[in-house]
Amino acid sequence: MFVYEKSKEEMMITNPKKGLVAFILDCIRWTLSGGVAYYIYLAILLVIMGAGIYAYGQQFQEGLIITGMSNIVSWGLYISNFTFFVGVAAAAVMLILPAYVYKDKDFHEVVIIGEGVAVGALVMCLLFITVDMGGPLKVWHMIPGIGLFNWPSSILTWDVLVLNGYLALNALVPFYILYCNYHDRKPVGWKYLPFVFLSIFWAVSIHMVTAFLYQGLPARPFWNNPLLGPRFLASAFAAGPAVIMMVLIAIKERTSYPIDTTIFFKLKRIIVVAAVINLVMLFSEVFKEFYTFTHHSLSAQYLFFGLEGHDSLVPWIWTAIALNIMGTLLFAFAPTKSSSSYLMVAAVSLFTGIWIEKGFGLIIPGLVPSPMGEVVDYTPSSYEILITLGVLATGVLVVTMLIKPALVILSRYKEGLKQPEADGL
Amino acid sequence: MDHGKKKDAPLKTADLLDSKCTRRSFLKGVSIAAAAGSAGLVTGGCGSVASSEEAKLKWDEFFKKNYRMMTQEEKDATVARLERLAKLQRGLDTRISTQEPLDNVLYGYAFNITRCKGYMDCVEACVQENNLDRQSKTQYIRIFEMDPGQLDPTSGDGKYYHEVPVEDKFYMGVQCFHCENAPCIKACPTKATWREPDGIVVVDYDWCIGCRYCMAACPYWGRRFNWGDPVVPKEEINTKQHYLGNRMRWKGVMEKCTFCVQRTRQGKLPACVDACPTGSRVFGNLLDPDSEIRFVLKNKKVFRFREELGTDPKFWYFMD
Amino acid sequence: MKILTLRFAFLLLPALMLLNSQLAIASQDSVLERIQAADQPFDNMQVESAHQLTVETVLAKESYQGGAFRVLARKDAISRYRCSVCHTKKTPQVRDGALITHGDIKINHGEGKNELGCIECHDRQDRDFLVDMEGQKIDFDHSYQLCGQCHFRPKRDWLGGAHGKRVNNWAGERVVMNCTSCHDPHSPAFKTKMPEAYSLPLEE
Repeated sequence: MFVYEKSKEEMMITNPKKGLVAFILDCIRWTLSGGVAYYIYLAILLVIMGAGIYAYGQQFQEGLIITGMSNIVSWGLYISNFTFFVGVAAAAVMLILPAYVYKDKDFHEVVIIGEGVAVGALVMCLLFITVDMGGPLKVWHMIPGIGLFNWPSSILTWDVLVLNGYLALNALVPFYILYCNYHDRKPVGWKYLPFVFLSIFWAVSIHMVTAFLYQGLPARPFWNNPLLGPRFLASAFAAGPAVIMMVLIAIKERTSYPIDTTIFFKLKRIIVVAAVINLVMLFSEVFKEFYTFTHHSLSAQYLFFGLEGHDSLVPWIWTAIALNIMGTLLFAFAPTKSSSSYLMVAAVSLFTGIWIEKGFGLIIPGLVPSPMGEVVDYTPSSYEILITLGVLATGVLVVTMLIKPALVILSRYKEGLKQPEADGL
Repeated sequence: MDHGKKKDAPLKTADLLDSKCTRRSFLKGVSIAAAAGSAGLVTGGCGSVASSEEAKLKWDEFFKKNYRMMTQEEKDATVARLERLAKLQRGLDTRISTQEPLDNVLYGYAFNITRCKGYMDCVEACVQENNLDRQSKTQYIRIFEMDPGQLDPTSGDGKYYHEVPVEDKFYMGVQCFHCENAPCIKACPTKATWREPDGIVVVDYDWCIGCRYCMAACPYWGRRFNWGDPVVPKEEINTKQHYLGNRMRWKGVMEKCTFCVQRTRQGKLPACVDACPTGSRVFGNLLDPDSEIRFVLKNKKVFRFREELGTDPKFWYFMD
Repeated sequence: MKILTLRFAFLLLPALMLLNSQLAIASQDSVLERIQAADQPFDNMQVESAHQLTVETVLAKESYQGGAFRVLARKDAISRYRCSVCHTKKTPQVRDGALITHGDIKINHGEGKNELGCIECHDRQDRDFLVDMEGQKIDFDHSYQLCGQCHFRPKRDWLGGAHGKRVNNWAGERVVMNCTSCHDPHSPAFKTKMPEAYSLPLEE
């Protein structure tokens, strides 16, 4: 069990007045300090990352032919996970909005954790895109000036802009706040608050733009419906806070950083509303596909019931719907004094359900049958799975590396506020 | 607070350096892969010793511009490099043309679904002419065996291999339709695919980053991706090539039917039209009122596939 | 205040996208509009590389919408031309002559009672020529005049370009295949055969 040793960390500080280098060094130290369980956790993550890097090396050498993708299912596990984790990233806004707009004190304590999760999710998204590209070294072709950037025609260019912008916002604002707190200063309001409000709008836009990637293609009738963008938002605001809740539970159980239980109830409320809306939208889509069955509904038939003997996704989607409903109900009817493990089960259930339904439960059926009516199954290859796991481990590591020092800095800052004389300001 | 003011200055550089702190592991992982990859790209493969001339050529090729942005000198230079690379890597003498589109020409295509008997001579001729990958059996053209009474290819069979024609079936061929309002051109984030003035939708293979968004956007399944390096037996490689057409591609780039740009800009028919034993394919200049394609459009009942999507393709179907 | 700015910002994104799409629609003519506007004749001969054809051709006796055109010759493909070498004024007196020389010809043209006989197309008096219903002699190179008597719809299409095939080029002088380039005149229907290629089942 990792035990947060306050005095040990304090003694490890290089020199609190020394600026950026000291800040970074201390962040590194705090990330690498911890008990045996923590080191095992880090080691597992690094091993998975290593396996992912090896598998990617093979993919870079041989080409994407070693994945399970084909000319029909041209987007697979990578883009599915990208789509899902953009939603998780967008969900940081669900903490920022109450914390800054409604000035909710409880949320203010944990907003940095939400931003850390957002940064980790965005890093995963960028990595997923990179491993999915056929020519990742040629990415400079998109830089306007030295390359050609097909903005505003191509929604992918919009996505490049909004994702990187959001990453900058979610990385720089907490960086500034933590940097100030590290130096026992209160962050100056006008320097970061406008960016916080910008990031609220931006969070909605990253997910709508990512939805528009698919929504704007009349070639793919499964995606080409106006509900896709709103559904993305609804499922993001259910799955994202579920992730944040999982992280908060982990922090509550494993560290001594104080997290008020009211935060869990407030998060739970957000999750329930979003999850219910998501289910309503899902039902709406299912009705449209199956009430009047057209050739456009073949994708939905492939997903839910199988088509021409190809039914590899059928068990997945039904499991996803079951998990979705179970998670929603568990959250909706949670007793007032719900334990951490109850909430964790509910969060994992909802997260997994949405991960399936919005990840490969959305991308693969959109591509099957092909525009010429051909049906194939898609099975990710072992390289593909290893690379995906590697990227996921990278994201988890990034989140750990951001949150662990952040917690130290925040608690030190709060201690400092309680005893201003002792810190010699 | 004096301390406060002094501390604020480093923040500006801190903004730049932020990426190192928070994205450390991302950079770590990607830089390892990128370093390995760049080394791999430049030296031509893990473990193999390529000549330094080949490495230099590849290095120069990596940094070139999009074809449309090149001056004629740059085009000549890249053609020279590509021809030299073909000689070094495959021992072949190729001629890569950069022929411009002809003036006042807009190519159009018509397909006679009464006459097509499903022989697939067109498919084979296209594979030979355009140096398509034999290993994955990439085919730009697909022929569907359809039941009469239905036009949707979902009801057709694209994978038949039996004596043709079968009684009571008709045959419909599809390929890239070279839309005037192509969704693939709109979708490409790097403008690696565009419509030339003579109507052909082309891909600059070296510019494509392999995101495959165009493939998701095409409603006709007209585009193909090179998942691995294409394999063509040396004696079957067509050495009369065009930069935007049938020159050798490699893994990670898109490709598609180009109406045989290496042939049509010289006034020749595309390989599929030339190969068809039943004369089901008609090709010509839509802006020439006396052309065969204009005769078909005027005198036959023609239709275009999925016209309601607004893609404005230049490929019509007709019946006798 | 901040909410208002937010709302305004929310509207900016869809407004920009709508604007972009409107511009896209307005800026180009559709294919059919361009075709309708293109009524000036196009000089096919300007495409210089389309000039070389090494096949035997004859000038067609009819014209198409673009004027005169050429047809692939046929006589050079008939191995025993000239027919009058054997078919003089007297009937050849060789036992089983028809079987020996022309035994490979199976007539499968016309169904049942309407099956064609040899002299319905071949001139009885002058075997070097074909003959039409009105007794007019037709050169082998211009067999389309004969075929077109009954098959007038394909002939009209062939003249215009919707039937048959051009030889090699879409530009330059128009050279088309004649009827017998594709259709065996004695058994004109296309045979069944195995396809030249097949398409893979696309799953692993």
